[in-house]
Amino acid sequence: MKGRRFRCLIMLSLFFFLFRAPLEAAVTIQCPGDTNGDGISEDPNIECMHLAAGDGFAKMSDGYDMYILGFTDVTGVPADQVMTQALLKMEIAAPTIVAHEGKNFYLTLSNVGMVMRPDLFDPHTVHWHGFPNAATIFDGEPMASLAINMQSSFTYYYKVPDPGTYIYHCHVEATEHMQMGMLGNLYVLPKQNDLADGTLLNGFTHHTGYKYVYNDGDGSTYYDVEYPIQIQTYASNFHDAHINVQPLPFAAMFDDYPTFNGRTYPDTINPTSIMNKDGNPSQKVSSLITATRGQKILLRLSSLATIDTHTLGIIGMNMKVVGKDAHILRNPAGLNLYYQTNSLALGGGESYDVILDTSAVEAGTYFLYARNLNHMSNRTQDQAGMITEIVIQ
Amino acid sequence: MKHILRRKVLLFCCVVALLLAWTVTGNAAISGVKGKTFNLTAKSGYITTPDGNNIFMWGYALNGGTMQYPGPTLIVNQGAVVTVRLTNQLSVPVSITFPGQGEVTATGGIPGLLAREAPPGATVEYQFRVSQPGTYMYHSGTRPELQIEMGLVGAIIVRPMVGGTVITGQAYTHPDSQFDHQYLFLLTELDPHIHTLVEQGRMNEFNNTVVHAEYWMINGRAAPDTLLATNDPTLPSQPYGSIVMAHPREKVLMRIISAGRDPHPFHNHGNHATLIAHDGRLLESVPGAGADLGERHFTTNAVPGETYDLIFTWTGENMGWDFYGHTDPTGAGLTGAACVAAGVPLESGEPLENHCKPIPVSLPTQDALTFGQFYSGSPFLGALGALPPGEGGFNPNGGYFFMWHSHAERELTNFDIFPGGMLTFLILEHPNVVLSVP
Repeated sequence: MKGRRFRCLIMLSLFFFLFRAPLEAAVTIQCPGDTNGDGISEDPNIECMHLAAGDGFAKMSDGYDMYILGFTDVTGVPADQVMTQALLKMEIAAPTIVAHEGKNFYLTLSNVGMVMRPDLFDPHTVHWHGFPNAATIFDGEPMASLAINMQSSFTYYYKVPDPGTYIYHCHVEATEHMQMGMLGNLYVLPKQNDLADGTLLNGFTHHTGYKYVYNDGDGSTYYDVEYPIQIQTYASNFHDAHINVQPLPFAAMFDDYPTFNGRTYPDTINPTSIMNKDGNPSQKVSSLITATRGQKILLRLSSLATIDTHTLGIIGMNMKVVGKDAHILRNPAGLNLYYQTNSLALGGGESYDVILDTSAVEAGTYFLYARNLNHMSNRTQDQAGMITEIVIQ
Repeated sequence: MKHILRRKVLLFCCVVALLLAWTVTGNAAISGVKGKTFNLTAKSGYITTPDGNNIFMWGYALNGGTMQYPGPTLIVNQGAVVTVRLTNQLSVPVSITFPGQGEVTATGGIPGLLAREAPPGATVEYQFRVSQPGTYMYHSGTRPELQIEMGLVGAIIVRPMVGGTVITGQAYTHPDSQFDHQYLFLLTELDPHIHTLVEQGRMNEFNNTVVHAEYWMINGRAAPDTLLATNDPTLPSQPYGSIVMAHPREKVLMRIISAGRDPHPFHNHGNHATLIAHDGRLLESVPGAGADLGERHFTTNAVPGETYDLIFTWTGENMGWDFYGHTDPTGAGLTGAACVAAGVPLESGEPLENHCKPIPVSLPTQDALTFGQFYSGSPFLGALGALPPGEGGFNPNGGYFFMWHSHAERELTNFDIFPGGMLTFLILEHPNVVLSVP
């Protein structure tokens, strides 16, 4: 039965792509100031990116080929080649979006359709989770605005707001599309990074190349290296039902692939891309954290888990929490409310900025892991869930 | 913008608007019962879910009336001595505990584990003095793992008093808690299997370690019923709606109560909100300092048993374009004060810097897009635009709809049907629109 259904799908998809009716809609990219078509604006105040949304497969650490919906980066790909180039190339985590405070950000999203589910005509969006003062048209929540049909594009615009760690995801049929993998890291770098060399910040001297989480005014959120760690949890019963065109188990979804950035341990510490069964890089974001002793490590922690709240813990090192939900922890009187902890709970949709000071720890390997102990494994492997390594040299 | 108004759409929307404004009009207060003495009856009844299910419940009814879920929201004044008289019409003992209230005395009934209980047919009376303003809950103290699931839970709102008078428009005695509108979000989840067991008298088969919620509720309703009016006649046992309405720059007080067994990360679209209080205490470093330890959130992880008060404001600042859609009449690209001088006045509270700045992207043709039922057809606040036949239509004033929902996205379903569950909307309306919160 399954094989027959599969053949049916292939035939259908072939039919769909060979005989599809010509539509007026097409992939169109909006990037003001891009004069040479590389998808990058020549105007220094404009940042552009082009994402495609569709389907594909991920490869989990036990070899499971997980059907996913997702995003892939097609910035610079000519408009007439996006539809063919992006098919089945989707990734978990979605491509990381890094924006700079105050810039004009143009994000084009093109929907290339779902090859493995030609029976579906789902539109897609990007929800800029946490961006302040949204307008519904750019919020990506489809009930209140619009979503992008297959073979079409829409360009989101944001005047990039306050620095900090945000999240993005597709908000169409949110439970389904998010469980299926349309989740990514998104963060905004502060203007304080661009100060002139030697600028004094309340006793702290800024030098070119110094990086901060926020416009802290005192260097207290300085860091040397940064790593986004996004909690994403996947339920194989949901993904299998999806690829087999079965009713989707919403209430019964059971997250048995708890991941950091779309990978379960030990894939989390693989510094290179994980390739899927089609030979495409499906999981590009490594969670291996490396630093030289004495460096300050910024972890941009966020959760897009669809079921549980997760507590992350580190053994042998403290986290200094400097921000939550893209806001510096500071009271109106200017008092820093940073705190030290070795565990931090995140519900879906939350983000935290934590800094690890490695000056007082020995060189070696430390572990960042989920204290939800059942999430330290995946469906078939023990010690293969939300675990990653912090290597101090 | 006027040129994009379509008469037919407008007419249809007027009809929808009349439907929306069906019951109560006026400013947004939290629906409930005010006073010092409350007569509650524990009794059984049924609620309905948007997928057509009827679910057997136990709940607190006011003055012997209809069982309701959640129980009546008790609105009391700080300093009052509150008396709650509970009469039990169920076949099992019940009680009430009042987390966050000190020195509760109970008379009548029989001793219980967490509270004095009323056996079937009997009455127990609780009395306590509410010393601190804020957001609280009350719930059964008798087998709470079953009885809260069954519906014996409700909210208490204590209004701040200074010098013998209630401070209206404030959640606490400090002005950091000022608001224009206040809304309650009592979050629960529900496993219908348990309710069936209880209804069939198979209560001893209830296994507290095996609970699988299928419904997730705000104020006792699953979406889209959350968007029906308060006291909607089709939901006689679920009186409380949760539509949120506001104008730009108005302060919205969100009173979140996590009343069930699971955490519910509550995400408010539109803007960040400032957490000002937790469990009925202002987040202040020293008494009188105001909410100086408050945090700005876009998600509040409401964990079981806790309450949160947040202030939300949408200002439209720093958007980089004019969200009212004003245009420079001279065609010279005037913005800000120059555009005002050219004869285009600012709307109330509109940020000057983006006045008359055009939307920076061109929108694709309609065949490229799928439109939501709450989309006005226009990117501008207070404007309507053309939509394909059958699309949109539930946004008569051209407001911005922002989903406020659990970000544990599994909870946005009703028995495996999306969308539903723990979601509602903030409707941000143009300043000229008179709010009529249903």
